[in-house]
Amino acid sequence: MRRFLKIALLLVILAIMAYPLVWMISISLRTGEGVDLRYYKEVWQAGPFDRYFLNSIIVVTIVLIGNILICSMAGYAFARYRIPGGRFLFFLVISMIMLPKQVILVPLYILMQKLHLIDTYAALTLPFTADPFNIFLIRQFLVSVPPDCEEAARLEGAGELTVLFRVVMPMLKPALAVVAIHTSLINWNSFLFPFILTNTTPMRTLPVGLALLSQGAHSIDWGHLMAGAVIASLPVVVAFLIFQRQIISGLTSGMSR
Amino acid sequence: MISLRMNRNSNSSGRSVPPVVVLLAPWAIVYAAFFVFPFVFSFLLAFLSYNPLNVQDTSWVGLENFGRLFDDPRFARALRNTLVFVIGTVPMTTIAALGLALLLRGRLWGKGFFKAGFFLPSIISMVVISLLFKLFYAPNGGLNHALSLIGLGGHGWLTDPRTALPAIMVMDVWAAVGYYAIIFDAAFAGIPKEMYEAAALEGAGFKDTLRYVTVPMLRPVIAFVLVINTIRSFQIFIEVFVMTQGGPLGATDTLVLYLYEAAFRGLDYGYASAIAYVVFILSGVFSIFAVRRFRPRFGSGG
Repeated sequence: MRRFLKIALLLVILAIMAYPLVWMISISLRTGEGVDLRYYKEVWQAGPFDRYFLNSIIVVTIVLIGNILICSMAGYAFARYRIPGGRFLFFLVISMIMLPKQVILVPLYILMQKLHLIDTYAALTLPFTADPFNIFLIRQFLVSVPPDCEEAARLEGAGELTVLFRVVMPMLKPALAVVAIHTSLINWNSFLFPFILTNTTPMRTLPVGLALLSQGAHSIDWGHLMAGAVIASLPVVVAFLIFQRQIISGLTSGMSR
Repeated sequence: MISLRMNRNSNSSGRSVPPVVVLLAPWAIVYAAFFVFPFVFSFLLAFLSYNPLNVQDTSWVGLENFGRLFDDPRFARALRNTLVFVIGTVPMTTIAALGLALLLRGRLWGKGFFKAGFFLPSIISMVVISLLFKLFYAPNGGLNHALSLIGLGGHGWLTDPRTALPAIMVMDVWAAVGYYAIIFDAAFAGIPKEMYEAAALEGAGFKDTLRYVTVPMLRPVIAFVLVINTIRSFQIFIEVFVMTQGGPLGATDTLVLYLYEAAFRGLDYGYASAIAYVVFILSGVFSIFAVRRFRPRFGSGG
């Protein structure tokens, strides 16, 4: 009986929590003449959501590759080498995880302006290619693994970069999966920095394009807005439905420790 | 960087650049250019009068930017709203997440389904959530539609200055609660079963078990959740930017919204940096408070 009550209670909470999302989808589907995808087609072309979508994919891909390379290299160095002042450097890395990013917003904007990089993919990607959380994660993972395989490879004459790419990175797979989930999600959903660092429609990412659509001079109707909102969330939600377990444990592990 | 040594011999190849330098170089470049430099620069900016349209006129103004904060009614309002938001949502989210995690404990039919359902909002972009709730809270939106079933409704939740900020706070709890619930759920798994068995042997009921076993064992995780959520909450921007632009009548004006407008509408970079440092210092102080309050205390369990 108690178990039944518990499930009933959970179902009620879940229904209340799901209601706004269900409402959003119903608005996006309900056109004047019944249920169809008209709003989706129209907002896709007029947005221009195809362009925003492409930009988001390009940005996330570059940032992801950058993080996997740069953070693996740095995490490996912090885990395996004795670096003078290494502890202090690593402390700097960790402290940046906690830094409210708005502190660097204005200077970063000025820097990008001086470098003439505003409104380029470089501005949208370069500053985000060395997420300190990823370095922390990879370093912690490597510290818990004995360096036996690396030593063996070194004895066979492998150079350090070969050791990293051929021996360490395959070992890092579980940590890199978390890095990939964390990095893709943060950057796919990111708003403030991409908003500040771009100023023309062709360079906007999905969240920025969507936010600006809602504030356009010709105030757009609800159906189109909600269709745009669903489009922006769809890739993340689909990925979540497929990799549910990995994503949940990836985003919460390392947190609960 | 030149003096970096490595702890194992690399004389086999005789290269002049130690591998550790190569390994750290990409990180060091990105870090120096996009974290350290902006961080130092923003600190300097807070003491400058810097107009981007007339950089030659840049002058050192000392603490003037910080002094201005004290006589600025808009800053006072943004500070008050941000504090209300943080002090309201952080404990609310934490308690609701603990409650949800407690409900999810034990063997349960459909546990994975519930976990996924509660977690879902936390992976959706805050822009999407804000946009959705902007319409959801409208006079003819989803919330009033649901309320009309019980004879209420018709309220413009975001256009009434009394309900605008609370409405946004409820939305933020809605968006974040599942994420923290799953963190607590994972932490529960780490509490040794023996502790519950011992508590049961002592005849402890649900409340006593919660008070003397669960919460003390969760202290480090609670501290972590409070810190992360506090830092995030002080940065509230997207919600008010998309939903209200700080209105109605400044009821949802926040520090970061003001920072954004001071910098990019007012072109007052020095003042914006001073506001940024207020956000930085406040979230630091509140985080330290949370950690102090909830740091693991041994022997406090009974």
